[in-house]
Amino acid sequence: MAAEAPHAPPGVQRRRSSQHTRMWGYLLALPTVWMVTFFISSMVIVVLLSFGTTTRDGFPVFGTNSGNFSALWDEVYLRLFVRSLLYALATVALSVLIAYPVAYAIALHGGRYKNALIAAIVVPFFASYLIRMYAWKALLSDDGLLNSGLRKAGLGDGISFLNTPWAVIGGLVYGFVVFMILPVYASLERMDTSLIEAGNDLYHSPLRTFFTVTLPATRAGLYGGMLLVFLPALGDFVSAQLLGGSSTFMIGNLIQQQFVEGQNWPLGSAMTVAMMAALTVLMVVYLRATSTKAREL
Amino acid sequence: MTWTTPTTSRRTLLTGGLALGAAAALPGCAYIRDDVPVAAPLPKSAKAKIDGDLVYFNWADYLDPKVLKGFQREYGVSIIESNFDSMEGMYANIAAGNQYDVVFPIAKWVVKMRREGKLRVIDHGQLKNADQVFYSGSYFNDPWYDPRSRVSVPFTVYKTGIGWRTDKVSGMTGSWEDLWNPQGARHIFTLDDQDEALGMAALRLGYDVNTAKASHLTEMKKLLVSQKRLLRAYSSDDVNNMNGGGAWIHHMWSGDFMYLRQGLVNKPQNYDFEAPREGTPINSDAYAIPTNAQHPGTAMLFIDYLLRPENAIRNINYLYYPFPVRDAVATFTELAKEVPACDIDVKDLENPDVFRLLSTKEVQARTAAWTEVKAS
Repeated sequence: MAAEAPHAPPGVQRRRSSQHTRMWGYLLALPTVWMVTFFISSMVIVVLLSFGTTTRDGFPVFGTNSGNFSALWDEVYLRLFVRSLLYALATVALSVLIAYPVAYAIALHGGRYKNALIAAIVVPFFASYLIRMYAWKALLSDDGLLNSGLRKAGLGDGISFLNTPWAVIGGLVYGFVVFMILPVYASLERMDTSLIEAGNDLYHSPLRTFFTVTLPATRAGLYGGMLLVFLPALGDFVSAQLLGGSSTFMIGNLIQQQFVEGQNWPLGSAMTVAMMAALTVLMVVYLRATSTKAREL
Repeated sequence: MTWTTPTTSRRTLLTGGLALGAAAALPGCAYIRDDVPVAAPLPKSAKAKIDGDLVYFNWADYLDPKVLKGFQREYGVSIIESNFDSMEGMYANIAAGNQYDVVFPIAKWVVKMRREGKLRVIDHGQLKNADQVFYSGSYFNDPWYDPRSRVSVPFTVYKTGIGWRTDKVSGMTGSWEDLWNPQGARHIFTLDDQDEALGMAALRLGYDVNTAKASHLTEMKKLLVSQKRLLRAYSSDDVNNMNGGGAWIHHMWSGDFMYLRQGLVNKPQNYDFEAPREGTPINSDAYAIPTNAQHPGTAMLFIDYLLRPENAIRNINYLYYPFPVRDAVATFTELAKEVPACDIDVKDLENPDVFRLLSTKEVQARTAAWTEVKAS
């Protein structure tokens, strides 16, 4: 601003900057009200309801009952939590393996098609997640496109892809991999490519350059992406419901069940709250560890 | 298919028993919203006349779109459609105060909403085609879920049985045991539906489909877990599971089976359906008008329009579910002539294996059992 008005008296500048602050304040007011009304208040309702009870007719009512939380110490729920955790971690690992090369290719070799390529990745995600899951179901079914192709190519009698843990994890990867591609792409895009050239000049092998230069420089994007994939994957219920088998029930399905067939909103809320608490602890540990690492750079 | 019912029936006795049970349970209620007056007068019926556009709330794709268009054309109103994906979702929307003119509850939800005063009376005298469903001797003059059909008009009926691929498995015995048929190993599906899955296990063990007794639930749990080594998945997407080739034996709804066999696959002769002898759950969907509907008059005309035999026939040919509309019944019987087990008979309607409205405690005990089955 000083550059725009080099001769303006100091008072004007002060006035302008205070006007600016006020303008930002106004602009922020709307989203703040929005968030408080629709996001925080619904969270508060969930927390309050987790201490509630259900009437004989199935209505959830607020209360001061901690029984919902003590009911969570059940071996069945623990097993589901561990299963979901494993699925979510596998999803993150596969997403890294898929997203990094894609983001790398687009950011460093995409040239003038970069934006078009990124758009090509993002656009399918505008379609509903549910519809995309149904599409996978049709593709992977026993008589589906993929199996018919395998049979025509003489590669055996087809494979039962659907209704396996792998189908569930595959669904999760497909559903959330874009959240990994975008932050990794952004950090690769921002990276100073002369560092790679410098690595090459110093007779590093391409692989060594990648592990000692590129990867550390894009760590922040990668860590961010891991978080963005892990969180929704852990709580997902659609993939397990549509692509899963007889033993792929996840924590998201469990919570959904309490709210629908189980007529037990308070227990479902307690599960949600416990899950949020566990994830918050995990996230704090994770963010501290990763930010220390990022600082070490 | 006949819809007439003998004058004295088991059901009459059963309803009497239920009323007694309800009366006995009443004084014990100490919960906040339990004091909903059971005997309160039902909200009054509307006159069948256009009073605005129709706000329509149904499962997605559960009526022939041509029929909906026909109504809009004939009466010069629009239909504003929204959909639910579960009865709980439908109920939660109505309980939250959202206003719809016509809704499509399953039998036990009619019980619940009628009891809570959430449904308006539908005066049969206002419906020109009422005699298509409420003729002399019709089961629906007094169905178990809505005494004297005060607040609901029957929409479809269906039963739950087993659909299977005759080209993949043989040796089906007409029992629920067939869901354990080793020939179908890893190609067997059980409905991902608490009532249906528990009901199936209960029937196999000779218990009531609604049982919530701890000892029964333990046995049912064991039985269902024993099925897991043969089971491919729990899924309610029965049509796609069968059509995709993954399912050879599927716990499924008769209407879905009809749609699969008659409307979808290339070789219908490879598909068959049985209604197991231990008992098959029977269910009905109904038309109802919520008390807070803004255009109940239009809703009355809409229900009347759907009761016209030609519209019921269109819907049967679109949905493959039987409609209990007198002059349309033959259409379904013809459609189901190769799979008579899918047809609905008065014996089916009279059968006691219906999913009743249970208390929260019972529902929660059943959910806990079902969760353990699915989580194991």
